Amino acid sequence: MPPTTYYGQPALKPAPWDWKVPVYTFVTPVAGAAQLIGTIADLAAGERAASIVRRARYGAVLGAALGGPLLIGDLHTPARWYNMLRIFRATSPMSIGSWLLTSFGAFSSVLALAHYASERSAGAGLPRLLVAVARWPAAVTGAGMSFYSASLFTATSSPLWAAAPRSLSVKFGSSAVAAAAAGLSLFEQAGARPSPATAALDGIAGAATAMNLGASVVAARHWREQGVKGPLEGPSATAASYRIGAILLGQLLPLACYAINASRAKPSRALSMLASASVLCGSYLMRVGVIEGGKHSSERPVDSLRFASRGRPEPGPLARNRRAIGRAED
Amino acid sequence: MSDRHEKRADSVVRSDVGAGESQATAGTRIEPGRRYGFFTDTTLCIGCKACEVACKEWNALPSDRGALSGMSYDNSRGLSATRWRHVAFIEKLDVDGEPPTQMPPFQSHWLMMSDVCKHCSNAPCLEACPTGAIFRTEFDTVVVQQDICNGCGYCVPACPFGVVEVDENDGKAHKCTLCYDRLKGGFEPACSKACPTESIRFGELDELQRRAESRVDRLHASGVGGAYLYGAPESPGATGGLERLNAFFLLTDAPEVYGLPRAPDRPANRVGPSLAGGLGAVVALAAVAAALLGSRR
Repeated sequence: MPPTTYYGQPALKPAPWDWKVPVYTFVTPVAGAAQLIGTIADLAAGERAASIVRRARYGAVLGAALGGPLLIGDLHTPARWYNMLRIFRATSPMSIGSWLLTSFGAFSSVLALAHYASERSAGAGLPRLLVAVARWPAAVTGAGMSFYSASLFTATSSPLWAAAPRSLSVKFGSSAVAAAAAGLSLFEQAGARPSPATAALDGIAGAATAMNLGASVVAARHWREQGVKGPLEGPSATAASYRIGAILLGQLLPLACYAINASRAKPSRALSMLASASVLCGSYLMRVGVIEGGKHSSERPVDSLRFASRGRPEPGPLARNRRAIGRAED
Repeated sequence: MSDRHEKRADSVVRSDVGAGESQATAGTRIEPGRRYGFFTDTTLCIGCKACEVACKEWNALPSDRGALSGMSYDNSRGLSATRWRHVAFIEKLDVDGEPPTQMPPFQSHWLMMSDVCKHCSNAPCLEACPTGAIFRTEFDTVVVQQDICNGCGYCVPACPFGVVEVDENDGKAHKCTLCYDRLKGGFEPACSKACPTESIRFGELDELQRRAESRVDRLHASGVGGAYLYGAPESPGATGGLERLNAFFLLTDAPEVYGLPRAPDRPANRVGPSLAGGLGAVVALAAVAAALLGSRR
């Protein structure tokens, strides 16, 4: 028997967010992950990865700078954006994220300026010290940026987002790391002399993409088990965005490219660039699919009421009453 | 919008006017520090929509774009930013898929239910609000402060009941305030005062719950065996992290029939697991990155 609803009216309201939210949840996590990779490259590879570190730091600050206007622009009363910094609330990923973006932006700005100054002047002792210190908090807040947006969706009542808390975070986090590594790799490959550490970037992107694929399989199982339609079963535009974007471009095509390149003695530059571009497109379209899919899932009362029943039996007196009526009629 | 603010400010200034009125109309004194709420007994509702009208009038809520819904007799469809009480009309034209051969003596195939913000405890909208605009009042109700809300909209998907909504016209989130301004003045809320059948009762929570439980017992004794409370502690609607709904209901059919979730949970419970999952993934990938970037090939 199909679950009952109130005349098919939605039992939940969808998040009132437009295109700026998918763009925000692509740009800032990728910026955060780039900052993290930049610091790791700086510590692990040093001079060999100098161009990667530079691009990571400038890219991160650019992403943070874009994130602010995108987030503020999506408020329905943007002039009051500063009220986000009125309180901190640990139960609200929107609050956590506001503070995370603010601190990530501040640390990334200091780091980018210090990096610029240390490269410009030869005996720059202070900027070098500043870089050595600021790269740590920038990387830590960057890591937070890379996955927190999944919690933003998960900590709601929208069934598609709420049904797969852990796997959705792993999906968003790994997708951000893959996209950041792919973006940095793309710039290296497009330049005249790619850094010798570029192959490592493709390796990171490949590992993150494999993790993303694993998380997607787990998330799909959670959706199925809890009777929630996944992004592929949503409206056609969402399903297409997810099928072509998240799965084909974001997972299958790049994994094939990385596998071919890994098996070759001399990796193909074109294949690496194709994989990188594909990962970037896929990461964005995956977010569009999950976000739009989540909004639609809240408007389907069959989904939301079934999800919110959590397999519980109907209220006791009601069940007993039905049994009593059944006996009376026999 | 400004009209509404002026009226509120006005009623606060003249707070002595209503002192004690709720004693006469609802049998309860309104004092800060006590917990108040609604008990909506759907077996008494006649679907007159007086509560919808009283709410609109008192709160000066703008009219809704009129359109026929084509379903039931309900054209207002649900709660929204500009509709804080909504009367559901449920016409039960079949019994287990069969057309009825005779009308039952009680609630003849009609269920009516006046829905409202549940003023949950814990309140998911409040826990989601990043600005502190949504707060718990001295009457244990949940209110959106219109001078602080910046319209981020995060409370909207957080609400497990689809109650709160952002009004595109003013860019703020709106929902039932349990007539915060009236409570401050010593008046009971507009909807419960206007209710002609006492389907909507306003009062102190403990007293309301005693009353509700005895009503359920009485209904069971007189043959309405399916009556149960929704939203009272330990009852359907108040499990999974929502300990109680300060606006609770007496229902006679499955919660889903009224468009209510059977076991809504607390979205904030998912913050920890999801952050932990993401952190684990990114730390693992950072280790991979360190290994790959550190190796000289």
